[in-house]
Amino acid sequence: METSSSLSFLLTIPLLAVVISWVIPKALQRIYAIFGSALILALTVYETSGILFSSTTEAAKAYFVDQRLEWVSELGLSAGFRLDGVSAWFLVLSALTTLVAFYLRGIWYRKQPRLFVSMGFFLLFALNSAFLATDLITFYLSYEAVFIPMIFMVGVWGENQKASAVFRFFLMSFAGSILMLVAMFQLMSMHHAATGQWSSHLPDILKVVANVPVESLLWPGAGFLLAFAIKVPLVPFHGWLKEVYVNAPMPGTIWMSAILSKLGVVGVIRFVLPLFPAVIKEYQGALLAVSAVSVIYAALLAIRSNEGKTLLAYSSISHLGFVMLGLFSLSSEGSNAGVLLSVGHAVTSGMLFYLLHQVEERSGNLDLTTSKGLATAYPVLFSGLFIAVLASVSLPGTLNFGGEFLVLLNAYRASALCTILAALGVILGAVYMLRFFQRLGLGKTGTANPVDVLVKKDLSLADLLMVVLLVGIVIYGGINPGIFMKG
Amino acid sequence: MHMNEIIQTLMPWLILAAGILVTLLVSVIRVESKRPAQFSALLTLVLTGVSALQTVSLPGEAIFSGSIEISSLTRILLALFSLIGVLFVVGADRYLSKEKIHLSDYYHLLLIMILGAGIMVAAKDLVVLFIALEVMSLPAYTLAGFRRNDSRSNEAAIKYFVLGGAVGAVFLLGSAFLFGATGSTQFPAIYSWSRQSVTGSNLLFAAGHFLVIVAFLFKVAAAPFHFWKPDVYEGAPTPVTGLMSTLVAVASFVTLVRLIHLPALDSTGWEVYAASIKTTIRVLAVASLVVGSLVIITQKNLKRLFAYSSISQSGYLMLGVLASLQPGHGIAPVLIYLFGYVFAAVGLFVLLSQSEPRGDTGVELVDLTGLVRRSPLRTALWSVLLFSMAGMPFTVGFFTKYFIFISSVGSGETPLVVLAAMCAVVSAYAYLRPIGLMVMRDADPGAAQWGGGFWSQLVVVVSVILVVFLGLMPNAMIQYLKGIPLIH
Repeated sequence: METSSSLSFLLTIPLLAVVISWVIPKALQRIYAIFGSALILALTVYETSGILFSSTTEAAKAYFVDQRLEWVSELGLSAGFRLDGVSAWFLVLSALTTLVAFYLRGIWYRKQPRLFVSMGFFLLFALNSAFLATDLITFYLSYEAVFIPMIFMVGVWGENQKASAVFRFFLMSFAGSILMLVAMFQLMSMHHAATGQWSSHLPDILKVVANVPVESLLWPGAGFLLAFAIKVPLVPFHGWLKEVYVNAPMPGTIWMSAILSKLGVVGVIRFVLPLFPAVIKEYQGALLAVSAVSVIYAALLAIRSNEGKTLLAYSSISHLGFVMLGLFSLSSEGSNAGVLLSVGHAVTSGMLFYLLHQVEERSGNLDLTTSKGLATAYPVLFSGLFIAVLASVSLPGTLNFGGEFLVLLNAYRASALCTILAALGVILGAVYMLRFFQRLGLGKTGTANPVDVLVKKDLSLADLLMVVLLVGIVIYGGINPGIFMKG
Repeated sequence: MHMNEIIQTLMPWLILAAGILVTLLVSVIRVESKRPAQFSALLTLVLTGVSALQTVSLPGEAIFSGSIEISSLTRILLALFSLIGVLFVVGADRYLSKEKIHLSDYYHLLLIMILGAGIMVAAKDLVVLFIALEVMSLPAYTLAGFRRNDSRSNEAAIKYFVLGGAVGAVFLLGSAFLFGATGSTQFPAIYSWSRQSVTGSNLLFAAGHFLVIVAFLFKVAAAPFHFWKPDVYEGAPTPVTGLMSTLVAVASFVTLVRLIHLPALDSTGWEVYAASIKTTIRVLAVASLVVGSLVIITQKNLKRLFAYSSISQSGYLMLGVLASLQPGHGIAPVLIYLFGYVFAAVGLFVLLSQSEPRGDTGVELVDLTGLVRRSPLRTALWSVLLFSMAGMPFTVGFFTKYFIFISSVGSGETPLVVLAAMCAVVSAYAYLRPIGLMVMRDADPGAAQWGGGFWSQLVVVVSVILVVFLGLMPNAMIQYLKGIPLIH
């Protein structure tokens, strides 16, 4: 299993799935997508099980794999991949998220289903490649490749203002990644100046960067950080997020919130922290402050929002603020806690958006001011939603609890003030999530609800199965948080 | 040098020159059929290309008392020009018949253009360079007006001619100044003059150098010297536009680079002058990038779109020129960029010529709507070539931009690279939008029919294969072109 073939395998299987999706008949696309992504999830878990389930980080290290393929050595282009304690979990997450997204029924299986399924698998490929990349240019290309399916998602199956959402998404993301690209070029030219060779391989660059004065690393570091701050996003770079999340079709929202935002997290762990330790150290206070402000500000925005999807979108920003707080605490425990919380956020936000889609299908809209009292009509659905809400507010025993707790613990060592601020976010989180649940589920059935709401069926068995799977992961992880922390 | 050796060295050029005469004769003898002229042109180009490639690794030689230098660079460029010629002879066949302008003149005019371009890149004397420039340009004016009954084509020819005349005049004036300042019209003499003149540039030299550069800035349409280009591109017959965009552009740009390197900019006393040259190129790069990339997204006519595209290409190339001014950097990024651009552009212009005529409006974006359902293969070909223009990975367009960018960062032009990369993103929108229209939209009722015929489709396929092959395995090309020195 520790041979490099497992890496190529994890990358080629999603690509193969893209190809196969073009020959599957339209009517069978959903079945194919679900079984295909479930199979990929199983294979991913199998291939990475040595890392996932080993008891200690030391034991897991035996299964870490490095692979490097030369491409255009003249220009320093190679494809470098590394499977380790961080990337293994994100590979599993991207497969799981893809399964959840494919599982949802909706317009995407009626309008151009082939495009939807092939784009979904292509997204999985691009994500895996980005999570594994240890080569600057490989990472950049995968990072950009992720946009292609997302632009299709919003552009083809999106809601009302999809054109403007696509445009804003495109513009914001590219503005960031261009700066990252130029930062990569700067690092590569430092390598070229020192050795006379072009290389974009991270270990090569690391050797050279160690001897470069901090001042000349400031701009490259800023380029990387800005790209990831937009991707995650951190306040004040969150301007694009609401419009894109709200106008994307629900599977697109699930992918974006559960896994695309983690590209920024992995980028910081894999590239920013090792490449620019001195720069980060110098600006640690500011970075922690930005993260803490993200937590609070996004939570306040969530409290103010009156639409289900918008509220969850802001809650995503708030949770990712915690993750970044963990990473910028600059301790390996903090990073590990960030990974743990990322996993927790990915699973819970996947579950929340999944169930939100079920609510939307039944009530027709997600307006928190008019719809209410739906829990009476749909007890099973709302039980699931309640568990998801509790997981999201980090109830002890769920996946998020360990993550948030450890993040705050480690961040406190770095900055007490920021940690206290961020901890307020936990309370605010409870406020908006419970308000969200109360508005949608509790109370008497409102007159504003359409008449046919009450005649629709409760959660189907198939949907229940998915909810049970996700709840299982949340609780299993809540009890065993240690398995996620092998960075 | 012995006459035999001169003939040996000049062989590819001589074959081309002889081929022009044969083609001309053949077209006069058999007026009713175009095939003999076509065949003779093809044969000439193939022989020229092969003989240029055969001798490509031979050392450079200056002949005719140093006014022409035949080197690896000029041989490989002549081979490239011959390839462009072959592709536009084969690819234009059906277009010319369709537009009822299938005259034998197309073939020998095209050959003369190639000869002019081939001499221009080899010239080491301002006078020879001027003659070559005119040999290349005069047939181009004629070809631009080849659709004689179309007022737009006539407009294009007149505009191109007036511009070309101005370029020639400016160039001659500049040459005269350079002669006055340095006492010679030969490149090596001017170069060694600049090495000896410790006081740095004088005003006469600066004015002359400035003028010859400006002449070629017009020719390559770097902003702000670009305004003629969209009209000429739109009006000229599509294969001729393709020739301007590939053959003329490459020859002119290589010449421009050599003219910029005319004085020894790194010798003592020239620091101020070198700095001002660099500033000028930076300004040109910014202007071309911004104008090209911003205006391109508003274009609805595809030929105008590619005109603005080539303006922005001049901007990227200027970055390569800046890098080449840095000691230790060659012109490899520029050459590779030009090669990559040519391989995609040939296919794109032949594809453009495949639309059925609809009056004289040319191909609009709307004509591409729903193409995937009408013609899936053509959609795939379009997409690959447009991807290459946008610099997507796994096409040659990716490496060419990438190489320009890393060498510019390496030579300290990071802010410019930030701007160029942003422009690349903005113009990517313009290149990807046609693909969106082809794939995601239903056919517009007014959309043109498409039909190319076997031969023109073959040319596009060749271009796509080159773009993809070099996109996957560019090692050999990069290694080879890196080894080619700039001639002085």
